[in-house]
Amino acid sequence: MSYLGQLIESVRGYDHFVEAEVAGVRKDPAKANEVLGRWRDIVAKVGKTRTPTGLELPTLALPRYDDPGEICRFLLEGGLPGHFPYVSAAYSEQYLSREQEEGAAGEKKGEEPTRLFAGLGIAEDTNQRFHYLSRNQRNKRLSTAFDGPTLYGVGALVPGVFGKIGEGGVAIDTVEDVERLYAGFDLDQPNVSVSMTISGPAPILLAMYIAAAKHRFGPDTVSKLRGTIQADVLKEVQAQNELIFPIGPSLRFLADMVEFCSVNMPRWYPISISGYHIAEAGATPVQQAAYTLSNGFAYVDYFKNKGMDINVFGPRLSFFLDCGLDVEYVALARVCRKIWAIGIRDVFHGDERAQRLKLHTQTSGRSLVAADWKNNLTRTAIELVLACMNATNSCHSNAADEPFTTPSEEYARYAAHAQAILLEESGIFKHMMSTLAGSPGMQVVGDAVQKAILDEFEAIEGQGGVLGAVERRYQRSQIQAAAHVLESQISNGTRPIIGLNRYALEDLAWPELETIRTPAKKKKIHQERVEDFHRRHAGESQRALDRLAAVVEQGGNTFSELINCVEHCSLGQITTRLAEVVGRFRPMV
Amino acid sequence: MEPIRILTAVPICDGHDSAINTINLDLIRYGIEVIYLGFHRSAHDIVRAAIQEDVRAIGISSYNGGHVEFFSEVLSLLRGRDCGHIRVFGGGGATITKADAEVMYQHGVDQIFFAGTPLEEMVRYVQTRFSTPVPAVINTSFEDRLIAVKLSEIEAGKSVEAQPSNRVGPRRATKVYGISGPGGAGKTTLIDELALRFLRTFPADHRLAILSHDPSVVGSGALLGDRATMVYSQDNRVFMRSMATRGLAGGLAAASENAVKFLRELGIFDAVIIETVGTGQEALPFGFDHSLTDLATLVMPPDYGARLQLQKIAMLDAADIVVVNKADLRGARTAVSELESRLRSTHREHTLLQTQANRHRDPGVDQIFRTLFPATV
Repeated sequence: MSYLGQLIESVRGYDHFVEAEVAGVRKDPAKANEVLGRWRDIVAKVGKTRTPTGLELPTLALPRYDDPGEICRFLLEGGLPGHFPYVSAAYSEQYLSREQEEGAAGEKKGEEPTRLFAGLGIAEDTNQRFHYLSRNQRNKRLSTAFDGPTLYGVGALVPGVFGKIGEGGVAIDTVEDVERLYAGFDLDQPNVSVSMTISGPAPILLAMYIAAAKHRFGPDTVSKLRGTIQADVLKEVQAQNELIFPIGPSLRFLADMVEFCSVNMPRWYPISISGYHIAEAGATPVQQAAYTLSNGFAYVDYFKNKGMDINVFGPRLSFFLDCGLDVEYVALARVCRKIWAIGIRDVFHGDERAQRLKLHTQTSGRSLVAADWKNNLTRTAIELVLACMNATNSCHSNAADEPFTTPSEEYARYAAHAQAILLEESGIFKHMMSTLAGSPGMQVVGDAVQKAILDEFEAIEGQGGVLGAVERRYQRSQIQAAAHVLESQISNGTRPIIGLNRYALEDLAWPELETIRTPAKKKKIHQERVEDFHRRHAGESQRALDRLAAVVEQGGNTFSELINCVEHCSLGQITTRLAEVVGRFRPMV
Repeated sequence: MEPIRILTAVPICDGHDSAINTINLDLIRYGIEVIYLGFHRSAHDIVRAAIQEDVRAIGISSYNGGHVEFFSEVLSLLRGRDCGHIRVFGGGGATITKADAEVMYQHGVDQIFFAGTPLEEMVRYVQTRFSTPVPAVINTSFEDRLIAVKLSEIEAGKSVEAQPSNRVGPRRATKVYGISGPGGAGKTTLIDELALRFLRTFPADHRLAILSHDPSVVGSGALLGDRATMVYSQDNRVFMRSMATRGLAGGLAAASENAVKFLRELGIFDAVIIETVGTGQEALPFGFDHSLTDLATLVMPPDYGARLQLQKIAMLDAADIVVVNKADLRGARTAVSELESRLRSTHREHTLLQTQANRHRDPGVDQIFRTLFPATV
């Protein structure tokens, strides 16, 4: 049986195991006493806290059960925060620990370490934006968006690309661009982490990042680098369409990178398994969860088959999910944590660290609309509450002006402050774990979501597993069908979008917003830099590409060679050469 | 009246195809033939395809910025090829501002649709704005344009003489290769891989033609989407034309035979590859004696069902080459041995090959290429 088939059995088996345990506890007084004793210990160990209004509260909310069967089910089914199967939270004190770090009253506190997505223009522009966004932050978390040519690995000098340079993200072609991009940040320090939202050419970009860091901080920095690179090639095929090479070679380049990171970069997350783009392409919440989780298991299976150790690479995997306004989001991430934990434990035999699903959530960009756009502030705020109810480990909140433009500084600030208002100003999450967890509604939604996800796994299994289904365009066509349904629901009004198809103003003025565009002058500068780089490395680049091509042909680790190659070759040169060796991705429609 | 043919695409370095997929489906419901080029396409690819397909307009869906430059580039390439009559319209949700649109109109863009435009409005625009065919008076020396216009006349049922060429260079003896098989067998991928080998093997003055067929939706338009999944065939040396079956069953269109004859008589191409629609068991798109083609190839997936099904596939009695594609799939070995015994029962010479066309440098595809283009080896 394939891993997906085993996974379905394991999850269902776990639920049966829980019910059998509950029945056992109810039949056997000795077991019942043991459970009651354990429960008393748990309750006794819960800490106490006092709110600013003088209310005394425990640091963990627990249900008032006295029936040993119920207690047994509660502990096994969901687990306490930080306990298998991690339904309520991956860690025991997720949002609380921040408050404990808080200094004495009145002391100036650094802003919460929210990840703020930025990318515009050429490297210096984004660098400047990073410095602006992180000016009050103790922890500098730099999240990088790239422009279209970079995401597709197309060089800035290719005809017809000029207009797209620096639009929607930063233009990066060479290792020197990467140095400019993160100039002034101490990449070797523990308070700096970098994330890069790029998949197709991810190994090339990470190689450039490593090379740039070595230039500035010496060869020993590699092991100190902290951050995440998206590198999720499967979701590119299913939803986002930014892939350069065919799936087979793409997976191989990814595995080589993950292997390198597992050995040399213990603080780096080399892949962020992403449902965000699947959901943004119009998938239902269940499709998002099912495809993302199954992609994650497909990577684990692929890496294991390559001889890599789940307990080494497993803890370095992380997830990235969308949170929208549908009711599924009341419990979606909780169910994902459970399925991941059971799959990693029972199917892939990974340890506790690998079992914890580490989650970054972003509020839904698709839910934001241009019509009466300031309503987007409210949409994002509600999504943030849902994400935190689901104990996400980190979060990105969208700016309200995103339907039109790269976020302006003003709305980027409101987006960041929305998180601070929720987690610092409001008392919902900061005093106690599980404040909003475990309601009957959450339970019911979670059960329904889990059932639907497992059904979807079965459908994927019927298509020949994850890779077989990808080949047959199964996930793609399902997502497209869901997008079509969504659009027609919006269009016929059965899905209310306030300000658009309901309570819309008669005469809605086009918003007067400053759209951020990269001036032609800067695009030109960028092109000239690439030309200059090519000129200076003309003597070396061909040999470097030949070496890389030889490694690809001979089956060695391509990533180590890429780190050398980027010293002399631009992104476009590398992708062009690699495509000659392994072919180009043939788009699926 | 001839159906309106338009081309839709998403620009280079942009993969946002969700909107255009929805729009395409709506357009074809209203009788329009849409040639869909797919996402991440350069202005050159778009213009080349639009000219070869002789469309009345190009619709571009752009969400990744740079639209002002990109649309302008498309327009100037069209004008440079004496094809300024092909109109350009598009949209990009809220990423294209009113101010951008004004600039784009000045550059010659016909229409920009903003966020919230109902689908019906776009359909109505295409139906009314492009209802009249572009006058066939053509004043150009541009070869692809000449061929494309003649093909349109053939498609409209007119008889056409093959003498467009003020071309310099030798006349080629054009071979015609038919490729058929059920939907999902991998015909398009195989042809794209053959095109790659053609381009790499032949000198730069050799050209290849591809005539690709897709079914019309009953009583309305057609989504001609083969180009969208082809990467190597978007090349100046490849002339590709997509034809809708317009109600004809069997794998080809009513005008296909004349179109093939025309392309052959031109003496420009080394070969014309015909791709049929996904065919059923009874289909013999190239006839039993296939007078239309020099070689007929049947592409089969390994999962055709029970062995008995093979007896019913008429094309197995008529094909010169039978290909089991997706040879990596479970069941491929069984398929090959079952096909071998099935082919022994016919009284023709067959070549049975296995391919994995979606794999780069697949030796099976190399073998087909050598069979079709033996002179090159």
